[in-house]
Amino acid sequence: MHRRSWLRPFVSLFLTAIFFLPLYVAVVNVFKSSEEVVRAPLALPLRPTLDNVIGVLTRPDGLFWHGLGNSVLLTGSSIVITTVLAAMTAHYLVRSEALWGRILIMIMLTGLMIPPAVIMVPLTRVLRAIGLMSTLPGAILVNVGYYLPFAVLVFMGFVRSIPKELEEAAALDGASKFTTFWQIVFPLMRPASASVLIFLGVWIWNDFLTPLLILGPGTGNTITVGIYRSIGTYQRDFGSVFALMFLATLPVLTFYLLFQKHFIRGLTGGATKG
Amino acid sequence: MSQNVSNRRRILRAWHDAGNFAIFVVPGVTVFAAVVFAPILWTMWIGLTNERATRPQTLFVGLDNYLTLLGSSTFHAVLVNTVIITLIVVVGTNILGVSIALLLRLETRLYSALRSVFFVPVILSAVVVSVIWRSLLVDDGLLNTTLRSFGIQNPPGWLSDPSIALYSVSGIIVWQMLGFAVVVYLAGLAGIPKEIDEAAEIDGAVGWQRFRYITWPLLAPSFTINTVMLMISAFKVYDQIAVLTNGGPGTGATTTIAFKVVETAFVEQRAGYASAMAGLMLIIIAIASTLVLRALQRREVTY
Repeated sequence: MHRRSWLRPFVSLFLTAIFFLPLYVAVVNVFKSSEEVVRAPLALPLRPTLDNVIGVLTRPDGLFWHGLGNSVLLTGSSIVITTVLAAMTAHYLVRSEALWGRILIMIMLTGLMIPPAVIMVPLTRVLRAIGLMSTLPGAILVNVGYYLPFAVLVFMGFVRSIPKELEEAAALDGASKFTTFWQIVFPLMRPASASVLIFLGVWIWNDFLTPLLILGPGTGNTITVGIYRSIGTYQRDFGSVFALMFLATLPVLTFYLLFQKHFIRGLTGGATKG
Repeated sequence: MSQNVSNRRRILRAWHDAGNFAIFVVPGVTVFAAVVFAPILWTMWIGLTNERATRPQTLFVGLDNYLTLLGSSTFHAVLVNTVIITLIVVVGTNILGVSIALLLRLETRLYSALRSVFFVPVILSAVVVSVIWRSLLVDDGLLNTTLRSFGIQNPPGWLSDPSIALYSVSGIIVWQMLGFAVVVYLAGLAGIPKEIDEAAEIDGAVGWQRFRYITWPLLAPSFTINTVMLMISAFKVYDQIAVLTNGGPGTGATTTIAFKVVETAFVEQRAGYASAMAGLMLIIIAIASTLVLRALQRREVTY
């Protein structure tokens, strides 16, 4: 056994390197000229250049900046609204213990596995009817409704771990349910809020079909849809495509790194036996 | 007199409860009902009509769309594509996921760094991942350019050959979801009590035997989560198809149900037919995930 102690790190490094290769190609070629990309895609940039990055940042149609602005607005508003609404809904439903509450929970949980493609036709009609089709508020509304069941599920598990006596004591002191929730319950649910924010942040930033159909064509769409559009305009200019994706991924990657531990914890919550 | 007071108190409390309900539950549930629940029912209804943009009058046609779908060879091909992708993703990601998790489970800095590498694609959007792979795999892309420079005259058309494209697409989805499966298996491995491992060691269970009879059965909850999650996400795959192949090459070699639903609804503008397809998709997902979940949870052992 001991003789082969080099084997495991070697195999691990080798497999990880193969797995990483596409990401390496995508990052390293951001900093190469177009002909260098095609000539030697695997080489490190001999003469590193920022031309691709500058080219993307100064596109005359403003594809990157418009897309970035829309993505930040859409993602930011959607996750904050969803988190607040889901925390309140989950808290009320867990504490009320009424039959209709349990029915409501069951209905919402079926919403967990609905593929967006299934509801797109009527969804566009709902949005047209209330005049929000092709607008950011419309897309925010869709995100809030679509991701609410997941967020409610996360919060429900958490509310159960908060002692009821805390709220009863506050009620005896004359605090309303609303005040109790904001001053006592919501601050205690910070870990659950963090999980919800990070999951939804990554998902909504990366969403494609929903913004594509709800926000429609033109520059009024998210950066993720912008990347899809750019494969047509950039054709074989791999350096520019990689630069656009690199810049579009930086914000969500930073956001992820800040909240990383909540993401992993949320992901593995159900994977172990308690 | 006292009855009057208690009555008033009861009414006041009911008002109070209604107010709380309106503040806490109504906003979220209303939005959910408007953009998810009502549209599901509405989709089911539209699926029972012959609505399409070019037809002036929409009629109720009952299950006609469903019958047409079940007899359509195009839809059969779409269904088969989706099932193949789902099978490859579920089987491939599970096997690779548990292998990588076993390999990288050690608690040193090296292995912890390697583990995070596998997780990066999970954070990336399917569009970004697909554009990266597209740049590598298109006919004059970076992979075939490299292969040609090594003297390989006719490298495969990874995304342009109808007999290969579906497998390329499936492989890319496996690559993106692998990190998720690895993390879930790692959590499962961390949850196995040390005493069980030690007992197995004393009994002389090593290698494959130990994995087959000790580790794998104890990983059953992780296997359940991975399988259900992978199944549901692979079955509804749309983004990768849109970027990598746009449903092609040829006549829909990689078209999945979700892709076909969107194409029928928004390109061909046949709302009725598309909605029936969406309804069928929903029914298949609901039945398949319930059955698989039941079957898998039954084999989870207790200790």
